[in-house]
Amino acid sequence: MIRLYHIDKRYGDHQALKDVNLHVAKGEFVYVTGPSGAGKSTLLSLLYGALKPTAGKLLVGGVDASTMPKSRLPFLRRNIGVVFQDFKLIPNRSVADNVGLALEVLGTPRAEIDRRARAVLNVVGLSGKEERMPQDLSGGEQQRVAVARAIVNDPAVLLADEPTGNLDGAMAIEVMEILLSINLRGTTILVATHDGGLMKRFPQRTLRFEAGRLVGGQ
Amino acid sequence: MIQHILRRALRSLQENLSLNLVATGVIGATVLLSGVYLSAIQTLDRVVESWDRDAHVSAYFQPDIGVEFRFATKDQISARQEVAEVSYVSEQDAADYLTERVPEVDTILDELGPEVLPASLEITLVPSHATPAGIQAFVDSVSGTPFEHIDYGQEWVQRFHTFLTLLRGLGLALGLLISLAAIFLVGNTMHLVAYARRAELETMKLVGATWGFAALPFALEGCVQGLVGGSLGLLGVFALHQVLVAKLEDALALALAGAELSFLGAGWGLALLGASVLLGVCGCLWSVTRFWRKAL
Repeated sequence: MIRLYHIDKRYGDHQALKDVNLHVAKGEFVYVTGPSGAGKSTLLSLLYGALKPTAGKLLVGGVDASTMPKSRLPFLRRNIGVVFQDFKLIPNRSVADNVGLALEVLGTPRAEIDRRARAVLNVVGLSGKEERMPQDLSGGEQQRVAVARAIVNDPAVLLADEPTGNLDGAMAIEVMEILLSINLRGTTILVATHDGGLMKRFPQRTLRFEAGRLVGGQ
Repeated sequence: MIQHILRRALRSLQENLSLNLVATGVIGATVLLSGVYLSAIQTLDRVVESWDRDAHVSAYFQPDIGVEFRFATKDQISARQEVAEVSYVSEQDAADYLTERVPEVDTILDELGPEVLPASLEITLVPSHATPAGIQAFVDSVSGTPFEHIDYGQEWVQRFHTFLTLLRGLGLALGLLISLAAIFLVGNTMHLVAYARRAELETMKLVGATWGFAALPFALEGCVQGLVGGSLGLLGVFALHQVLVAKLEDALALALAGAELSFLGAGWGLALLGASVLLGVCGCLWSVTRFWRKAL
């Protein structure tokens, strides 16, 4: 599902990723870990097309994301769900509207958006909170809304950048359980985290980065 | 898709009402200024046209030119293609004309003799030659013997033409500046709208929205701003025209030498409305594009 060949990424003089080679199979659940500045977020940004590699080749779902023109980027992203540490929810839109946005951009009819948003909110345990505003929810609930938005259009890949970074222990466990249940339905998941406790509690393949190099988990 | 775009545009218009009103006001003011300028130029053009239509040349004979030669000259000039009409005014006709209008000069003329006023030819040119350049060319071609002096009263019309050309150039530059300022103001106002919706734009880009999908609601907002602002601006020009006509009709009639105070025709009105819609749409697209490029 994801293949990286000799990927380098530089920001000026700073080399964020060095000669990274990697293969993640379809349906895998993978942790991406390492200290701050190791290159975890850079890797995820390359995968959803926010950044382009300085060198190397990067395939996501068979599509070469390293040479993709900007005009094709939206079509890559429609097959990738992304969850951020800071949730990135739209504050003046209801929970259902936030979740439905991923379907709205595809031109899905309103009734279908409402139906699927409700269904996916049920999966993440937020049934009955469709019309609430994000700021009225707890941190854990907001992250679950972000997860619901990321999976509502059934993407092949789900990327989560420190999804539990802003959550306390119980809420972090809730979110991880949801991600694992989504993985069981066949979605390939990459979670960037440095939460050793969670990785120990939910053991999965772990890619370890240090100073831009992949040092473990290949 | 169209339903989503309409829904989002309508929602944004409601949620950012004050900013949208500011952008609409800027467009309205730009159309009002442009409309007033165009009306003024059209009116001045009509005034000059009417002056040109009335243009005629008075060619005064030298005193020693005989009557026969004067009539021969009249026939020669009448035969020219640029001449519409020629009439001969003798010394006596000129004196009678003056006495009729200013009876007080009667005794003076008696003392000096009727020959004090020279005989002349009053020449009216065909409309196609009744331009400053055409009149000047005609005067140059008939100057000299047998005429002592040719008066065509068009030197100042020519100067006015030059002034009008300068005014047009100045107006065009001013119009361009006003339009640029309006695009800048509308763009920045819309940038505030885009800023207020930055979370939505960022998220839309992340979930795979195309630029078109994100930008079209903004373009629609710009279209509404342009239509409303443009209509208000045109209404302002019309109201100003009505007030000026009603309040200053007599004074203007004298100043404009009979030409009517112009209001923009349907063509110009539609052009201004189209330009204001374009202004609104361009301003909005400019702002959303600036923001879109910065998003992840």
